Amino acid sequence: MAGAESSEAERLKEEVHREHEMYLRALADFDNYRRRVERERGETARSGKREIILALLEVLDGFDRAVQQTSGAPSSLSEGVQILHRKLLGLLEAQGVTPFESVGQAFSPELHEAIGSVQSDKDESGIVVDEVQRGYCWGDEVLRPARVRVTQ
Amino acid sequence: MGKAIGIDLGTTNSVVAVMEGGRPTVIINTEGGRLTPSVVGFSKAGERLVGQLAKRQSVLNPENTIYSSKRFIGRRYSEVQSEIKNVPYKVTAGSNDAVRFLVMGKEYPPEDISAQVLRKLAADAAKYLGEKVTDAVITVPAYFNDAQRQSTKDAGQIAGLKVLRIINEPTAASLAYGLDKKKNETILVFDLGGGTFDVSILDVGDGVFEVRSTSGDTHLGGDDFDKRLVDWMAEEFLRDRGIDLRKDRQALQRLTEAGEKAKIELSNAIETTINLPFVTADASGPKHLEMKLTRAKFEQLTADLVERCTGPVRQALSDAKISERDIDEVILVGGSTRIPAVQALVRRLTGGKEPNQSVNPDEVVAVGAAIQAGVLAGEVKGVVLLDVTPLSLGLETLGGVMTRLIERNTTIPARKSEIFSTAEDNQTAVDIHVLQGERELANANRTLGHFRLEGIRPARRGAPQVDVSFDIDANGILTVTAKDNETGQEQKITISGSTQLSKQEIDRMVADAQAHTEEDKRRREEVEVRNSADSIAYQVERQIQELGNHMPVNDKARAEQLIGEIRNLVKTNSSDVARLRQLTSDMQQIASAMASTAYSKATSAGAQAGGTGGAQSGGGDDVIDAEFKQTR
Repeated sequence: MAGAESSEAERLKEEVHREHEMYLRALADFDNYRRRVERERGETARSGKREIILALLEVLDGFDRAVQQTSGAPSSLSEGVQILHRKLLGLLEAQGVTPFESVGQAFSPELHEAIGSVQSDKDESGIVVDEVQRGYCWGDEVLRPARVRVTQ
Repeated sequence: MGKAIGIDLGTTNSVVAVMEGGRPTVIINTEGGRLTPSVVGFSKAGERLVGQLAKRQSVLNPENTIYSSKRFIGRRYSEVQSEIKNVPYKVTAGSNDAVRFLVMGKEYPPEDISAQVLRKLAADAAKYLGEKVTDAVITVPAYFNDAQRQSTKDAGQIAGLKVLRIINEPTAASLAYGLDKKKNETILVFDLGGGTFDVSILDVGDGVFEVRSTSGDTHLGGDDFDKRLVDWMAEEFLRDRGIDLRKDRQALQRLTEAGEKAKIELSNAIETTINLPFVTADASGPKHLEMKLTRAKFEQLTADLVERCTGPVRQALSDAKISERDIDEVILVGGSTRIPAVQALVRRLTGGKEPNQSVNPDEVVAVGAAIQAGVLAGEVKGVVLLDVTPLSLGLETLGGVMTRLIERNTTIPARKSEIFSTAEDNQTAVDIHVLQGERELANANRTLGHFRLEGIRPARRGAPQVDVSFDIDANGILTVTAKDNETGQEQKITISGSTQLSKQEIDRMVADAQAHTEEDKRRREEVEVRNSADSIAYQVERQIQELGNHMPVNDKARAEQLIGEIRNLVKTNSSDVARLRQLTSDMQQIASAMASTAYSKATSAGAQAGGTGGAQSGGGDDVIDAEFKQTR
């Protein structure tokens, strides 16, 4: 009889222990979740903005190409294009988006996406020699890596 | 103790997910993406890069950048000759005909490469969760043999993970849809990823999955669809402008991206515009690409790719010795199953069955793996999977409308209470009619129960405070309590089974509410307008009584005439909202004029007991959320 009671007590003890364990787990999960939600609240606003900025960068790329390819066009027109280009760039800079220089730098996968290589005798290998699409930072985040060609 | 994660170790991309508070969550990697490329690069400086970073340098370093290691893992060198032809890195034979990748003079088994990917996924998960990750469930294709499974498990161990289990990808997808709870069903999983196509037929019963058959095409996927678009765009451009964009690496890259984007857009739109300004230039100046692409054209360009899915599905059915009619559930996996033509094909091949696709098809396998990891780590079985109320709960209030206390899809256990009052003077009992459903009108919803709270002290309408609380516990058992705050009188009812409706029934009720939204809104508005008209009429009537002869006869006659009209409209349940609104606003003007008259009278004649109190209780109409209807 006593044995049955003590084994029942054991069982209950174990059950309480298990329940408590689950309770702690749920608490911990919730606590972690809450902290992350707080941390992500800022990031959520940022990620909404990121989407639109990334789309605008594509327009900016168009201007980069336009400026390059319209150098022979009548100066009034190419000037206009350049002004528009600067205007858009200024707008993005006001949001903390800045282009970074790649040509002449050592290739780094954090900043660059290689789309091709160039044989070079004079330069050492692994140097960015051509930037086909500009890279941009947003604060201290690499918003979009630059597309580059690198010496081999 | 660390967390257990679920990993979909894919040929091109991998995904990691974890159970959090009983729900699977896909983890964002350190680069901010939900998909991590299954790529490992060895830089010349001896650095190892994994994922997106490895991919960015692959063009510079193709012979030292290993991707698709899944195509080699656990296989013999002699078996993988056709695969070797497709990759730019060196593959050699190790001892016992084992596959080895040769990178800068060093041999790496495929397990090592997969381990690098797994290590990154686990590290990103740990960073995301802010706690250590120790255990994992990893998925493999259903057709993987023992050697391939063992090697995948070894990869996990090399990555420092305790591999709780290796499970089949289609099984994981089924778990993500909770199909393990089904009794004796047959499931077809259609998995069209970036580069591979797999069909699996599974049987499920008592939580056990059995693979009946598998089939597929190891080199068919979304990339093929993209390539078709690139070729089409390039051909069109070549025809119009005489320049082959495929010869210009940069232009080709832009075309590929634009093609993929157009493909994605055409899953939701029937037409899209591909727009690449300054795509190239020749002696005559800059050239732009702008073309319209309709879904119909896209389908025409890719019809044969879609059709290539037919054979494997038929094969899997015949290998499992079943017909399309025997399939109970269809699951779509892989991003390419978002293509409408692919979905149409699946429906056609499975007897018109509506496929499961509510879980993101890129993530469904990892989600299932995370659920399995949670079960094995004792989290899921232990922690009650928190349920939600499938339909709103509330009670009937004045005018036959439903006032909701607990909205649908509220996670339970939950508790909510609100104060209600009486609708008539000297009302001593209220009827509580407990309702479930989404319709605005009480009688269009489901009745869960009735009870009556008696013994309310006679008072003016609106004065008694009845506290009604809805408490639904983790098992879905609802207790509704009504308590008179003044006398402490209390009544309650317990209703079980409020969450146990069949899915069809819930869907029907929700759809029904949607179908009647406009009508219900209009009728609820009518009720509310009638209620507020009635309430202001009551208030003015009381003020008239209080003022007695102090009120000018003309004003009194006009007020009484308006009250009469309102009473009549309310009694006949009039739907003349405009007239009722007009009457209400007229009455409000009278009420405020009278209040100032009452005030000047009160100050001149000294304080009149209950005068201001009465006005407040009447004016408190806005505070009272709803009133019970007198039923006596």
